[in-house]
Amino acid sequence: MHLAMTVQKNFGAFTLSADITVSGDRIGIFGTSGSGKSTLVSMLAGLLEPDSGEIILDGVCLFSSARGIHLRPEKRRIAMVFQQHALFPHLNVRNNLLYGYKRCPAEFRTVDFDTLVAVLELEPLLHRGVTNLSGGEKQRVALGRAILANPRLLLMDEPLSALDDSLRFQIIPYLKSVSEQFGIPYLFISHSLVEMRLMTDTVLAMEKGLMTGQCSSEQLARNRMGQSSAGYINLLELSSMTERDGMCAYRWQGGELLLSAGNWETTAGLFELSSKDIILFKKHPEAISARNLLHCTVAGLFESGAKLGVEMTCGAGTLVAEIVPDAARELAIEKGSVVYAAIKASAFRRLAAATSQTRP
Amino acid sequence: MFLADSDIQSILLTVKLASVVTVILLLLGTPIAWWLARSRSRIKGVLGAVVALPLVLPPSVLGFYLLLAMGPNGPVGQLTKTLGIGALPFTFWGLVVASVFYSLPFMVQPLQNAFESIGDRPLEVAATLGASPLDAFFTVALPLARPGFLTASILTFAHTVGEFGVVLMIGGNIPGISRVASVQIYDHVEALEYGQAHRMAAVMLIFSFLVLLALYVWRPDARKIMRRD
Repeated sequence: MHLAMTVQKNFGAFTLSADITVSGDRIGIFGTSGSGKSTLVSMLAGLLEPDSGEIILDGVCLFSSARGIHLRPEKRRIAMVFQQHALFPHLNVRNNLLYGYKRCPAEFRTVDFDTLVAVLELEPLLHRGVTNLSGGEKQRVALGRAILANPRLLLMDEPLSALDDSLRFQIIPYLKSVSEQFGIPYLFISHSLVEMRLMTDTVLAMEKGLMTGQCSSEQLARNRMGQSSAGYINLLELSSMTERDGMCAYRWQGGELLLSAGNWETTAGLFELSSKDIILFKKHPEAISARNLLHCTVAGLFESGAKLGVEMTCGAGTLVAEIVPDAARELAIEKGSVVYAAIKASAFRRLAAATSQTRP
Repeated sequence: MFLADSDIQSILLTVKLASVVTVILLLLGTPIAWWLARSRSRIKGVLGAVVALPLVLPPSVLGFYLLLAMGPNGPVGQLTKTLGIGALPFTFWGLVVASVFYSLPFMVQPLQNAFESIGDRPLEVAATLGASPLDAFFTVALPLARPGFLTASILTFAHTVGEFGVVLMIGGNIPGISRVASVQIYDHVEALEYGQAHRMAAVMLIFSFLVLLALYVWRPDARKIMRRD
């Protein structure tokens, strides 16, 4: 997918001015609420007409104020998944799913109904009404409906923010796999860095109606570490849980991590660990209360605000810790140096069960 | 017999008038309500006020102007004469035209409320899924506004049944053509036929109560519309 979009839109006190050139199939738009993300995608979908500018998607001009072109939304083949599922309450699940499919010209119909239903596990819901589905089910139906319209681009406008945490990370694998499996590129809008890293490769950052940068989602997370109260979030896939002395021992990248009990409804899963919860030692501390002590090699250092990020390889895995520059000098931390990373067993937080993460 | 033949005739005429007016207003009021609900135009307020006029105008005022317009020298009268239809006042169709104006807000306002409460989002979703505005109107807006259509139709029908002033001004009092139930009751009272007036009045009372009962039992939100009007 290649998108070239130069648009201006004035709303009195708020002006949106964006100049975007981006290629890729997993693009993110990141910004706080009120930064203009939703306005931007509304213009891309054709729901809102820019005051001026030009939008060209894969060589097709969707809007041009100079040439007087404003392609209607139904002609753009850009489907949307909204924050609120926006299902049609008068149609059952099956007819919601088929709404866009029936209106898609036959030559563009590549997504097979039955395959999609299987991937999204919607078979048991097909004949039900949509009003009494759970939040996660509704969002899966909304996603399926958008995909079945066989769009050339899928816009996802904060599709997870109406869901609670546990559900959010169960839906992400569906979002990713469906788009990948059917070859539909997407633009994912969110104010959550973790969602960005799980969903996208390239991220466009927005602030107060202006584009402030374009980088990888990983780079964005590192750039924001210094100013974020949560630090940099390490995302860890942990597997093969065994119980040990009232704690949970997980396998991680050839090593082992001990976690506080209480999170073990399932054996494996995706966990987050803040860069602030990792303490570095130059030498082996003889006795500490933290239950995890990892032997790591510093792979690199990066600056982020007043903090220094330390990227370390631990076995086959990578962790990022944050320290102040003073600490880096005292410990003589540089690329290639060996450190010990201490992590409390209670510092990990489960994001999702592994079964959904590994779903095709 | 409980009701005289002339009474039954007037009731049948009333039902026919109310049915015809409701059907015409469904066709006429839907696009007006849709436009009022969706438009951001400045003249929206003006049209909204015009539609609501019959709510506050004395029926005799409305009837008077309609009579002038439809009379032989009025613009509508001239038009109908040119078309070979003849003058509308004191005919059934003249009554229909007048009732359409008189009951317009009872159709348009509930429909406008229903369309407004749908919001933009379902229509935007339909558009991004490839539905043209007309397609989205029929497949999304109409089904979602269905309760509003039910309310609007019942209110329009009942309101037309209950009109009196406009009928007298436009239709006069011609049996089988313009003598509707409300006029018939008036005639009975004038002629001091209180027994017949009682029976007709009871029929009207029970009918009106049943209509409102249906509305209140099935559609609790219709009360809001009634109160606002």
